Amino acid sequence: MTPPTPAGGTPTGGTSTGGTSTGRKLLARAALALYPPAWRARYSDEVSALLDDSGAGLAAVASVAWRALPAWICPPRHLHDRPARMRASLATALLAWSMLAGLGLVFAQLTQLQGLMAPGYAGIRWAYAVFDGSLALSALVAGLGGLPLWLLMLRRARREQRARDTLYLLLPVLAPVAYLAGLVATAGLVGGPNGVSPSWFLAVTLAGFAAAAIAAAGPGLALRRLQPRGPALHLAAVAAAAAGAIMALAAAAMAVAVVILCLWARRFSYYHNFTTPGIYLALVAVAASVTTVSAARGARVALAKP
Amino acid sequence: MTGRLDRWADPPLLVLASLADEPKHGYAITQDVAQTMGVRLSAGTLYAVIARLEARGLIEPLESDDRRRPYRITAAGAQALAQESERMSKVASVARERLSTRPGWARA
Repeated sequence: MTPPTPAGGTPTGGTSTGGTSTGRKLLARAALALYPPAWRARYSDEVSALLDDSGAGLAAVASVAWRALPAWICPPRHLHDRPARMRASLATALLAWSMLAGLGLVFAQLTQLQGLMAPGYAGIRWAYAVFDGSLALSALVAGLGGLPLWLLMLRRARREQRARDTLYLLLPVLAPVAYLAGLVATAGLVGGPNGVSPSWFLAVTLAGFAAAAIAAAGPGLALRRLQPRGPALHLAAVAAAAAGAIMALAAAAMAVAVVILCLWARRFSYYHNFTTPGIYLALVAVAASVTTVSAARGARVALAKP
Repeated sequence: MTGRLDRWADPPLLVLASLADEPKHGYAITQDVAQTMGVRLSAGTLYAVIARLEARGLIEPLESDDRRRPYRITAAGAQALAQESERMSKVASVARERLSTRPGWARA
């Protein structure tokens, strides 16, 4: 079948000087690089041709760059390899979730475990209760929902004697165990009757985040290398969305408790400036946003009609 | 409130209307929309709309050896355009009729 001849205007973009044209092309290429890979593969040539034809200036290139954001947030479904989309969302959500869980544990260590109950401030007690329940429920949902996929990948890695993938899949167990062993050893060596010094606490905290990142990156790498498909992947994607939503509730509870402690119950918390809590809350907001958006994108694909 | 009601110039509708008579590629669509409907579609907006319309099966790409891939409206796209045109026509008719009853309204 011969396709119909398209109607076309006369391109106007060939008149620009070489230097201007080269600069604009570089900017256009940079703007297109902001888009998701599948979108780029499908449309970037056409958009480049349109920009060339229309002799478009910086405003047009800026509009292309600006539109990259919705393309990430709401990617066109027809462009995606659905299992690949779910795997990518799962890997990102898992990493962000583990960072958020780490921030939650720091919150617990610096508030609840220090006995900052602030009598008379019921909001703090409620926030602690919501945080505890949400964190536990989110971990349970993520664990139960991800277990079939993890077992599927582990069985395949062992059957095919893929030692590196087996190691990646075991990192969620090995990294926390190694971290806890290091923590116990460190506490024994440098701990005093009042615990460890602030600098050691910071070092231990950073090591904890590193361990959480390694534990989450392992399954993410295995997902990329083993490329699983099927019902277990769908289940994990939906469970990740549920776990992410519950974790967002835990993050909100953290924010409520920190704000109350900073603004109204300062004599209980000894927080005399807002810099550190502000940075902490910004990190919580970023981690919660990435977790929920990534997990929701994966679930959206999992639940979409074929 | 004064000025144009730009949000009424719904870009997906403009693109569908542009493709209603014959297939066009991106540059031809922007030229057609600018000349016949008086709206300038930026490259970013146009391809966000094309991606959305293609995902919903309202337009489809045609084969092309060139970087300039033409698009054609589908039967579903034509139906959606017809329904939306009918709705807009009713709104326009009511608006014209009511404006004509306003004292001092001299247009139309």
